[in-house]
Amino acid sequence: MSATLSNYLTITAIFILCTWAIYLPYRMGQLHFMMIANMVISAYLGALFSGAVVSGSQVQEAINLNLHWPFILTLILGVVVSGLLGYLISLAIGDAPCFAVVIVGFAFMYLTKAIAENTTALGRTFGMFRVPRIVEGLSNSQNRLFLVCVCFFFVLLVGFWIYRFDKSKLGRAASSVFVDRDLAVSLGINVKKMGSLLQTASSALGGLAGVLYLYTLRAISPSFITFHNVGLFMTMLFVGGYTTQWGPLLAVPILWGIPLIMPESLQVWKNVFYAVILIGILMLKPEGVITRPLLRRLNNLVFKRRLKPAGSGKNLS
Amino acid sequence: MEQKDDIILQVRDLSVSYGHIKALREVNLEVRKGEIVVLVGSNGAGKTSIMETILGVNTPDAGQVTFEGRDITKNPVDKNVRGGMTLVPEGRGVFATMSVLDNLLLGAHHELKTAGKKLNFVFESFPVLGVRKNQLAGTLSGGERQMLAIARALMSTPRMIMVDEPSIGLAPIVVNSIFDILVNLNKEGYSILLSEQNVYKALKCAHRGYVLETGRVIKEGRAEDLLNDPAIREAYLGA
Amino acid sequence: MLNIEILIAQIVNGLSLGSIYVLLVTGFNLLLLVAMIIHFSFPVIIVFSIYMSWIVMNLTGSLALGILAAVASAILVNMVSAPIFQHIMRKRGSVDINATMVISMGMGMLITEWTSHAINNGFPISFETEAVDPHGWLRATRAPFIRAGLVSISYSQVLTLLTGIILVAALFWVLYKTKAGRAFRAIAENPDGARLVGIPLLKTGVQSYILTGILGGLTAALMALLLGQASPDLGDQLGHKVLGISIIAGLGNLGGGLVIALLLGIVEAIVQGVFSGGSWSNTVAFLLMLVIVLAKPRGVFGIKL
Repeated sequence: MSATLSNYLTITAIFILCTWAIYLPYRMGQLHFMMIANMVISAYLGALFSGAVVSGSQVQEAINLNLHWPFILTLILGVVVSGLLGYLISLAIGDAPCFAVVIVGFAFMYLTKAIAENTTALGRTFGMFRVPRIVEGLSNSQNRLFLVCVCFFFVLLVGFWIYRFDKSKLGRAASSVFVDRDLAVSLGINVKKMGSLLQTASSALGGLAGVLYLYTLRAISPSFITFHNVGLFMTMLFVGGYTTQWGPLLAVPILWGIPLIMPESLQVWKNVFYAVILIGILMLKPEGVITRPLLRRLNNLVFKRRLKPAGSGKNLS
Repeated sequence: MEQKDDIILQVRDLSVSYGHIKALREVNLEVRKGEIVVLVGSNGAGKTSIMETILGVNTPDAGQVTFEGRDITKNPVDKNVRGGMTLVPEGRGVFATMSVLDNLLLGAHHELKTAGKKLNFVFESFPVLGVRKNQLAGTLSGGERQMLAIARALMSTPRMIMVDEPSIGLAPIVVNSIFDILVNLNKEGYSILLSEQNVYKALKCAHRGYVLETGRVIKEGRAEDLLNDPAIREAYLGA
Repeated sequence: MLNIEILIAQIVNGLSLGSIYVLLVTGFNLLLLVAMIIHFSFPVIIVFSIYMSWIVMNLTGSLALGILAAVASAILVNMVSAPIFQHIMRKRGSVDINATMVISMGMGMLITEWTSHAINNGFPISFETEAVDPHGWLRATRAPFIRAGLVSISYSQVLTLLTGIILVAALFWVLYKTKAGRAFRAIAENPDGARLVGIPLLKTGVQSYILTGILGGLTAALMALLLGQASPDLGDQLGHKVLGISIIAGLGNLGGGLVIALLLGIVEAIVQGVFSGGSWSNTVAFLLMLVIVLAKPRGVFGIKL
């Protein structure tokens, strides 16, 4: 597999996870951008614990933990720490209005960035690099293939989990909070618990994506925390459709792919391209491309074909 | 011909729906100059819908509204208010965080130049509002708020006032004074379209009435006749 | 070392910064209350206006034309974006405030990206160059107005503070003493009730876009005066701060916004004085915001929507 293709596939998988991380709290109407901070936090943790280094001039001041944790351990660490952080914050803003959640996310992003930029042990603005390969001993291309497999394994796993959630009682409850919070409260739904659950899951998912991202780039720097990423993930969510989990699966590969095949001179404008698409889709199809009615129609199409033999059999008897 | 000049508001075959729900079905009614006309009916019979549609809040599916001979069916609310009709909404609808004076001036939003004169008139008619003009409307009592809502309606120099459920949530003695106010306004020449659940009191002070049920006019006539109608007595007066 | 003179200087400094925050937050709250949109990118539009005024001043060297350009472009962008907001509101039947915020974020992305690629190669722009300011007026305002030992307060800070106070006073005068302001407040409290009284919603909405446009343009001119420079990411940073201030005060709470905005300006200035570093004042600002939002997600003074 070529480096370009495997890179595209890994990043696509990671961004699907990221977009799902935004999708989950938005099920009940909260735009939780803390996952971007979580992504970076877990990436830095992963870098520290896997034995990455900081740039040459700062190496004397840096604390060398001399740890060489394997991939799986750093992954668990990243997910657990991020999830825990998300849970602790959700205790305060589990049932907060959308905009309070938004500003908490932004504040966290700024704080993480400020800390990373000013801490020598984390390499300041240069960040950390020389993250070990996922499996030492394998060749570069084998490692890339392995990483693609790992990323898509997690997409499947998380996708299945979100599917089960959406179909469950909790998923329906989340939708009802989205539509009318007061009504949902009067129906006996614990909005705070719901928010807490979804925000924790979102943060843990951010942590997962962060560690995967770290092993893909094999480096991390504070410059990842930019407002563009918020715009990027939001575009992917809203274009694909925020009412179902399938929206990101459609939107991420396309939206991430198009700028890659654009001519070099247009590449710098890719964020403009995202912004225009975002505004356009909200004006033309406010719920995104994949909506629940569309899914139902697709479902009916597939279902009819399957039902026909059974139906005709019934007629015969 | 003479009778036609007399009519200030004419509603013909008015139908309104909210989504799939039919709120009004082919309603016909009219208000003549100097009349108090009352709309009687239970909750959800369509009293508020009629008034809001006349004012231009809802777009009707069919039918026509004529005010002083002009077709106003498609006019927006602010144009109708400028044109001389006004609504005192149910539940008073005063702006609680704004002062009494601000509330009154909002009523005269389209013609503030003459507002000073009208304010004097309103404060003469409702001295209590003059005393409290700098107070926030939210600090007024229920009856005072109703007075403020009526006074605000007067500020727009209307020729017809629609009053939606003025007695709701008020003590009986306050209700009496509100009805007195309406009757006095009527004597001064304002035409009034009133909706009321307090059927007895409303019919007592009105000239004519319409009985509504699930969006239809099921009976109309002179107020005294309706008051003596056994079916109505049974349905609305419990006698 | 923080003695009383330095403290006073930093407070004046903070008040001039705070008055800019007040203008931004009040514009943001007005759009929220009257037009029912969370215009997250309102500060981005203002940074865009700063850029426009820089371009015009670069070409003509005229301060007056620069201010005019700032006001004109802010009104223009506001008027162009108005139909987009109106459109999504109609489409959804009722007002979905989340969607307005996402649209606004998209607009912000668009403007930020454009300024960071198309103007001055994405480098920060400066108002203190010969081309932009041929008469040296802006540079002259850098001179100290008062100097006492280590402490100095520049003319630009004093000018910003005074103009800021006048603008805020004018704005609140419009809100509380004029016909349009009365209509704004009525719609803010109860849009349906305001409609029944006969207040034209569309016309008043457009008025609010124009008013915030004028306000935004003048704020842009003030920011150019106070900061002397601008960079593409300034808009996003201010956007986050303005949303933060507004949330901490309570969304739509005009008086609360004024208090919190001034406080934030002072805190930032003092932190800057203590640590003498730009990035820490932002960090402290966001840390404070985080703590307050976590403790009081509905704002200190309460949401007024």
